[in-house]
Amino acid sequence: MDDFCIEVEDLHKSFKGEEVLRGISLKILRGKITVILGKSGVGKSVLLKHFIGLLKPDRGRVFVDGMDITALPPPELRKVREKFGMLFQSAALFDSMTVFENVAFPLVEHTSYDRNKIREIVLNKLALVGLHGVEDKMPSELSGGMRKRVGLARAIALEPEILLYDEPTTGLDPVMARSVDNLIIETQERLKITSVVISHDIMSALEIADTVVMLDKGKVIFEGKRDEFMSCSHPAVVEFMGVR
Amino acid sequence: MKGLLEDLFGGIGKVVLSSIAGLGRWLVFVRETIFWLVRPPFRIRLILKQMEFIGVKSTSIIVLTGLFVGAVFALQTGKAFAIFQAETLVGATMGLSIAREIGPVFTALMIVARCCSSMAAEIGTMRVTEQIDALETMAVDPVHYLVVPRLIATVSMAPLLTALFGVFAVIGSYIVGVYLLGIPGGPFMYKLYYYVDVDDFLGGLLKAAVFGFLIALISCYQGYNAEGGAKGVGKVTTRAVVISSVVVLITDYFLTSWILEFISKGGGV
Repeated sequence: MDDFCIEVEDLHKSFKGEEVLRGISLKILRGKITVILGKSGVGKSVLLKHFIGLLKPDRGRVFVDGMDITALPPPELRKVREKFGMLFQSAALFDSMTVFENVAFPLVEHTSYDRNKIREIVLNKLALVGLHGVEDKMPSELSGGMRKRVGLARAIALEPEILLYDEPTTGLDPVMARSVDNLIIETQERLKITSVVISHDIMSALEIADTVVMLDKGKVIFEGKRDEFMSCSHPAVVEFMGVR
Repeated sequence: MKGLLEDLFGGIGKVVLSSIAGLGRWLVFVRETIFWLVRPPFRIRLILKQMEFIGVKSTSIIVLTGLFVGAVFALQTGKAFAIFQAETLVGATMGLSIAREIGPVFTALMIVARCCSSMAAEIGTMRVTEQIDALETMAVDPVHYLVVPRLIATVSMAPLLTALFGVFAVIGSYIVGVYLLGIPGGPFMYKLYYYVDVDDFLGGLLKAAVFGFLIALISCYQGYNAEGGAKGVGKVTTRAVVISSVVVLITDYFLTSWILEFISKGGGV
């Protein structure tokens, strides 16, 4: 029987009268990479923010490990969030902190490790994402790809159970984009975690996905395995695949 | 005509409703900040960093403005009092007005200009670049992490800067009064000492703390609710400065009437 770590039921969300999510229902398989595809503006990032409780739905429910997080009070929601790591589209590094301080941040906030232990973990995570000797640099001194790597190192610092990626390849050149794809696969294989990737990059999706979910006009139009997606005949999927 | 009236009252109604809604959201933000104010972890390093920014790094501007504000007020009152041959009262007048009004109000306005604009811009930039979302995903409450240290630092530094402003404003007024207008130094200081009570200073410091509380929360709230990129950050920064300045001046009136009624023994000497 399939084991799901996130389940979404009939999710609705509007902003200023405009309905972005119109009854989304989907399930995320534990220990696999799920890619949520869709054109820009279909509500992918909005959906992702519901997974971690950054947005409250107008209607519908989100279950994380069987617990409905839409009704949780803030202290319990924070506990649920400790299961997650998130890589933002812009990496969202704290620009007043060095790379080291950024990656160390969740460790300082949530553990009682001493300085040496924190240093060891930070350098280890940076090495895991292929970065060496950048720990004293400021985020503004890094390239887009390096910033995403630092963002990923920070996201995995506490070894979360679920890793969310918001458009990880957007704004990167094709070589760097493929390198980030490889990084997602490597991270998945090494840490054995659940990964949810939001993307409109079809190449990337077909490279990394175990499962694909496609959104169109605020609804799920496809949910299934990567091979099934490639043979799907839904007009919106065919149109999207044609862009490849 | 009917349509015009409908538009007019409809417009007024919208402004009133959105103002009430805005005030409500701000009060919820204040409640949340107070909730976190007394909860661990107490981020001493962040508080000290903000105290350094708001307090230590503002000293030069406070000293400079204090000196010149004291000087110009002494010049004006000295010239005016000369008409009644009451120049020796310049010291007392300066002492009272600096302790009660000029000190706390000018200091608050300088903090608004120098620090609150920066608070709104910094938090606003963090909001539009998803750094605040990142804090939340790392299970760190942004109000606890960003707003509480700034609030504590502003409330504690505003009275200290007000006292510093007062000292240098008196020095400025003494220099102009004694060396420029020729008022005898002894009577200048004696009248100041005689008329200015400890309660006047305490009232001024209390005002400064209240101003600090309000301007820190207004500025953080504006930054916290920024949207729409660089333009949005600019907008909330301007709004933070304008609203904070106006609130300082309005609150000053009500605080003054309350202090004169309940704290100052002289009831308005």
